[in-house]
Amino acid sequence: MKDEVRIIERKDIPKGAIMLFGFPDVGLVGVIAASHLIQELGLEEVAYMDSPLLPPIIVLHEGLPHSPVRIFGNHNILLAVSETALPAELIYPVMHTLIDWGRSKGVKMMVSISGIPVPDRQDLEELKVFAAASNMETLKMAQEKGVEILREGYMVGPQAVMLQYCATLGLPALTLLAQCFFQYPDPEAAAKALEQLGSVAGIKVDVSKLLEKGEEIRLKARDMMKRTQQELAKMRKTQEYDIPLYIT
Amino acid sequence: MEETPRRRRSIFDIIDEYFESLEAWAERFSEALLEKPSWNCRTCTIEPLRDILVTSDEVIVTVDLPGAEESTIQIKPVGKDTIEISAKMRRKVSFDDFGITHYRGEFQKFHCRTRIPVPVYMDRMEVRFKRGLLEVRLPRKHEYEIPVE
Repeated sequence: MKDEVRIIERKDIPKGAIMLFGFPDVGLVGVIAASHLIQELGLEEVAYMDSPLLPPIIVLHEGLPHSPVRIFGNHNILLAVSETALPAELIYPVMHTLIDWGRSKGVKMMVSISGIPVPDRQDLEELKVFAAASNMETLKMAQEKGVEILREGYMVGPQAVMLQYCATLGLPALTLLAQCFFQYPDPEAAAKALEQLGSVAGIKVDVSKLLEKGEEIRLKARDMMKRTQQELAKMRKTQEYDIPLYIT
Repeated sequence: MEETPRRRRSIFDIIDEYFESLEAWAERFSEALLEKPSWNCRTCTIEPLRDILVTSDEVIVTVDLPGAEESTIQIKPVGKDTIEISAKMRRKVSFDDFGITHYRGEFQKFHCRTRIPVPVYMDRMEVRFKRGLLEVRLPRKHEYEIPVE
């Protein structure tokens, strides 16, 4: 299945960049954060994904077609983002292809930005960001930068596949998970995740616009959130609430 | 080399598979049937995202109403098992605001209807609105209890 997914490069790809991932998931944290990074850092499309496995969707921008899964970048950042909810069965081939591609470009660290749903989100004044990593060194680095570690539990979705595959390949990878709503777009959580991204990866952006435009983003993101909810249900995302039975 | 005996599928496996495929088909069908735009140009309304949680003693309906004017929120019971929610937006939103030029229309209101899946006391509804999120709590009506002997 992986052979049916390819990355088409449109520009020269920098070597030794940090590769970020922003995929539709709970609270659309990753996608909202990615969109803000693209705007604030002026990232350009450097590559895109092509595959007959992807849904027959293109995204039109200024009348021209674009793949729903694209990679943006500058001289030291690569950012993979999807503008459509990925069907559960595509997460493995899509993530493996992106990681293999990033590895071929000598990416020094992979960071996925996402959320962790909390039932009492509406009452939380201060959101926490948790991290999980593909190896002990990366986990320690995150901890030293002040990120709380997600010690035990289940992780479901693209970031789960990313961590596991990077662990297998021996690549440093980190998942940042901001506390968020499960079923509503959460720009505040995206802002929080971006603040932590600044400390763990040195990619600093001003999040004030993101917070100011929060209501507008929530309104715009409704349809994508609805489609994402359908896919999250299929991949049993609520398992993240489960209490695991540990087998040591 | 010993030959592995071919495992025969039982009638129960076949029935299970049949029901699984039927369920998948029903799911796809109902999804396709429910597909509709989340906006209505004729009524100038936007359908908000919402969620229902049923606990042992209440039903909690949450509705995301970003940009809604709190004083205009209306929650009306419709019959015994449905509530209708509407709210005016603080400012009108048009397709242009979303960067869309192939549709025309302005929206000034949120509107949705939600079916409550279990019996509730509509007259004992509790409501709060915080950070653009509406929360409606409805106590559950336990019509009878089965005694445990």
